[in-house]
Amino acid sequence: MIINEKIPSRLGLIPDFIHGFLKKIKHLSLGRDDIFSIKLALEEALVNAIKHGNKMNPGIAVEFRADIQDNRLTLQVSDKGDGFDFKSIPDPTAQDRLVKTSGRGIFLIKKLMDEVDFSDCGRTIKMIKFIHKV
Amino acid sequence: MKITQEKINDVAVCILDGEVDINTSPELRKACDLLIKNNEKKVLIDLSGATYIDSSGLATIIEMFQRLKKTGGHLRLSSMSEKVKNVFEITKLYKLFEIFDTRDAALKDF
Repeated sequence: MIINEKIPSRLGLIPDFIHGFLKKIKHLSLGRDDIFSIKLALEEALVNAIKHGNKMNPGIAVEFRADIQDNRLTLQVSDKGDGFDFKSIPDPTAQDRLVKTSGRGIFLIKKLMDEVDFSDCGRTIKMIKFIHKV
Repeated sequence: MKITQEKINDVAVCILDGEVDINTSPELRKACDLLIKNNEKKVLIDLSGATYIDSSGLATIIEMFQRLKKTGGHLRLSSMSEKVKNVFEITKLYKLFEIFDTRDAALKDF
């Protein structure tokens, strides 16, 4: 099953979009921990794409693609921004960065998903979760 | 998300119920603004009803921590669910905050 969606770059749309997506994959019978991880990773990816990529321009859409196979869920989020250097993201858990109020999104995604890759100069993030049915 | 506030002795307790996300974090920030404006020095955020927290929620709590610190105040967190606690553990924010298993334990620590 493949899902392709375009989301206007408005942060307020994210929770409802994710809620709708999780309903569409309900048949996968994911465990609660996996649902929590997917929800959080997807939210962080969409926030980054809307805020940093598309600079909150509601006229520019974020592209979302989900590829649902038997044992893996692949989520892809793409923006139309300038891209970024995804190879040099500071560690938000370093002692001197703990008090920072930003910079945790990608770190959380990497911790919560099984595989994470960037392409197109950082404009596209691909996140994979291996499915453990309950 | 629903935010309930109560005062227990000299501690302002902020009880969060629901999801702390990109849409609801501004409500938490407003509640924090009011606590600062009221010159509260001891603040406890009770997360017993919080079912979800994202990086915007974390940022709002960090901001509250910093603002209270500047005014000589103290922030404690309590009663996190396992999933919310896991987010604090992954981000190592347990090193920054004083986190208690129960509201009573946090209140006693002030």
